[in-house]
Amino acid sequence: MKTSNKFFNFLTLLMAAVPAVVLISIIVFVVYYSIPSIKYNGISFFTTYLWNPGFQFQAPIIRHGVPAPAGSSFGLDLFLLGTLSTSALAIFIAFPVSFLVSLNVELYLPARIKKFVVSMIELFAGIPSVVYGLWGIIVLEPLLFNNIEPWMAQHLSFIPGFKGEIYSGAGLIASGIILSFMITPIVTSVIVNSFDTVPKEVKDGLFSLGATKWEVGKYLITRYSRASTVGGTLLGIGRALGETMAVLMVSGAVTNVLPSNLYSATNTMAAAIASLLDSAFTDSTGMNLAALAELAMVLMLIALAASVIGRKIAGRGALRGYESD
Amino acid sequence: MTNSYAKDQTELKWKSVSTRRVKDKVANALSFVVLGTMIVILISIFIYVLNAGATHITWKILSTFGNTSSGGVLNAIVGTWMLVGMGLVFSLPPSLLGALYIVNAKSNGTISSAARLFTDVLTSVPSIVIGLFAYLVLVIRYHMGFSLIAGGLALSVMMLPYLLRIIEISFKNIPKEQIENAYALGADDIRVASRIYLPQAKVGILSGILLAVSISAGETAQLIYSAGFNNALPTGFLHSQVAYLTYVVWTGINEPTTYSHDLAFVSAMILVLSVTALILISKYIVRRK
Repeated sequence: MKTSNKFFNFLTLLMAAVPAVVLISIIVFVVYYSIPSIKYNGISFFTTYLWNPGFQFQAPIIRHGVPAPAGSSFGLDLFLLGTLSTSALAIFIAFPVSFLVSLNVELYLPARIKKFVVSMIELFAGIPSVVYGLWGIIVLEPLLFNNIEPWMAQHLSFIPGFKGEIYSGAGLIASGIILSFMITPIVTSVIVNSFDTVPKEVKDGLFSLGATKWEVGKYLITRYSRASTVGGTLLGIGRALGETMAVLMVSGAVTNVLPSNLYSATNTMAAAIASLLDSAFTDSTGMNLAALAELAMVLMLIALAASVIGRKIAGRGALRGYESD
Repeated sequence: MTNSYAKDQTELKWKSVSTRRVKDKVANALSFVVLGTMIVILISIFIYVLNAGATHITWKILSTFGNTSSGGVLNAIVGTWMLVGMGLVFSLPPSLLGALYIVNAKSNGTISSAARLFTDVLTSVPSIVIGLFAYLVLVIRYHMGFSLIAGGLALSVMMLPYLLRIIEISFKNIPKEQIENAYALGADDIRVASRIYLPQAKVGILSGILLAVSISAGETAQLIYSAGFNNALPTGFLHSQVAYLTYVVWTGINEPTTYSHDLAFVSAMILVLSVTALILISKYIVRRK
């Protein structure tokens, strides 16, 4: 074999290793930078909801051999609760919608219109998250504050959490709705793709036995593609967990106040990292940065777990997101 | 077994044809209403943003530099494309060559599937984690400062897995016989790559690049703490901050003056228009082929 070819093959091998190197170095560095916080906070990082950067102009206190600003406190409970609740609300809205839309697209729409509708849905997956956030601030928040939430507080107050003071429109409901808008196109796209893999012969066989379209959908298509449906949903959850900007804009970005009802302002782990990093620069002990790195580490663990499990269940190929080949 | 068969039989007896048809109609109507509602909502967001941008757009905003409360957004427009271009410079070579390794039949199978796995997992790293990584490692540890290079590298972390997967798929769509024939005629890997893989997958690669560009043009979280912001154009690759459109949208809408809001609306409109155009062009070139 010629040397040039050998060199070329070696180069392609090196380049194929780049994603692994990047991923591993992200993980290693995030863990490395969070070591001071892991040492300093220990288990209390997971058991308290107070996040306080501390006083910069007092002598730092030292615990477990690590210095931190006096009066500081780092706990992720509020952010974790926000991340989980907003993602849960988002998938609670997005899954039924995506499922019904995919069924309609697959069974009832004529082939020509189907192609058009699918492309349009994929187009919406590409809209930047700050644009959804902008719409959320200008249109959704006033709508929630003036119309929807007062109605809910008045008429649905018998349900726990629906009663109480309305904050400003920003909060759990707004974040969940915006997130559901962002992940519906992705989940729909995955489900439609997996519905498409049902063999035509089996479908035709069922039709020839006199089954209605609904029965073909219920007994064949949804069962055949159950795995990729679950996988696609998990992928959507992964997206929702890690989404930063749109949630930062409509969540109210609260710290240190636990939500008292459905309308309270909230915050998520991703949004908290984005909004707190600014002030963390000024901490001379570096503990604020370390705590945010630990927050990022936990967020990354959760998001990677959701997507790895999703891929495992669905198998590769079905989860191409919206970049259809 | 017999029991469930008997149960099916009885079910079939009392389910008359007409109730089954009604069920079918109801399912059709219900799912159609949901589809319609979703499309109406999404289109209304789309139109709202375009309309808000169009009503506030002026020549001054488009043609002058500015910050998020005065001036224009030209620095942000140019800066966005500089960052995206920088991201492409860092992510395209590894994704092209890496995809060549993965599809090459003579490669080590374990390494290929490991590379695929890592690529897939890298896609699901939250963008703010990439942003924090870029700040801690690139900006601080390696002294790049808020800069074009740091921002471009942060974007390329997100573009790399997208590009690699799309390029790999378009390589796989090339007929196997063609590649085997080339090898049988004595071509080496460089020749097969340059004469068969690249020309045959040209369209797929191009559409992948357009998609990756459209996604990264709309990213914010990676850039906040790696690119910074600049009232003018960056003067160099290192230690010179860069402006970008998503920052103007995010900051402008949170500022109290109406002019900041105008800048945010115009930036959002430019973003939506360019992203849509890129996705449509990428779909068009694939379909034309």
